[in-house]
Amino acid sequence: MIHRILGSIIVFVSIIILPYWVYIPLLFIAIIIFPFFWEGIVLVLLIDVLYGNGVKALSWSVSPLAFSVLVLLIVLLYLRDSLRSYA
Amino acid sequence: MTRIVVLVTIFILTGVLLSFFDSIIISAISPIWKSENSIVRSLRNGISFFNSKKSLIEENAFLKEKLSSLEAETSSLSRQCVQESALLELMGRRQDPSTIAAAILTRPPQTPYDVIIIDVGSNESIRIGSEVSLPEGPVLGVVSLERNNIPVVLTGLGGGNFKLIIPRDIEINIGDRVLSSDITSRLLAIIEEISSKPTDSFKEILARSPANIFTLRFVSVTP
Repeated sequence: MIHRILGSIIVFVSIIILPYWVYIPLLFIAIIIFPFFWEGIVLVLLIDVLYGNGVKALSWSVSPLAFSVLVLLIVLLYLRDSLRSYA
Repeated sequence: MTRIVVLVTIFILTGVLLSFFDSIIISAISPIWKSENSIVRSLRNGISFFNSKKSLIEENAFLKEKLSSLEAETSSLSRQCVQESALLELMGRRQDPSTIAAAILTRPPQTPYDVIIIDVGSNESIRIGSEVSLPEGPVLGVVSLERNNIPVVLTGLGGGNFKLIIPRDIEINIGDRVLSSDITSRLLAIIEEISSKPTDSFKEILARSPANIFTLRFVSVTP
């Protein structure tokens, strides 16, 4: 749990102060590492608010980055269920 | 399936929440960005402090070249000024220097309505209607703005202050100069304050005379 919170904080801080070619890969790595990383949705929408065209309430127009994060999270749910770990 | 619904719900709820609080978030993070910029700037300054001797020599040479170039430009400008003066003289448009210097006896705020009393009169061929001007130019008249070359009328407000009204679309900034419309383009006033309401099609501008009329000692009088 500590690692998860620490990872979220690292991604959050990198979104604020680091370039996009650092924080976007970090976000995707966190989504892959931590199971059911719903915080990724909050973080990607924060990226849209800070650097994109903003987030519009009750609108179907979603940024490609936010959509891809949502799709990745859903795909990873199925992948984790079908993978068996012996670790 | 439940987890997918949860993810989509989080997505929608977060989107709705952030759409309402986006300005608050940006204003909360702005100080962090500002401090980040200042830290980066100070780090750069610190690095430049340790610049090599070679780069300093190169910069010195570059600045010397720039200085000589600017000196040449300045001298050519002064030559142009002399040429312009000679041209005006040839065209008969030279400013008539036949003005009389007059000492001021009393000035505002001793006198009401910004009246000044001078020590010359009909004995010096001064008559009613003669133009009294400051060394910088006439006090009132049709003038033009330096920036946009727009004819405007300066209205005196007393105390060396003026008011002018221009269309709101015309760009004007504090510090812009108001010049006389004659060939010499004498400085009349400096823009001090700009006020306009969103509903108005004009904006009101307050300007100040470059000379302090409360401390005047001499004026020029054109007979």
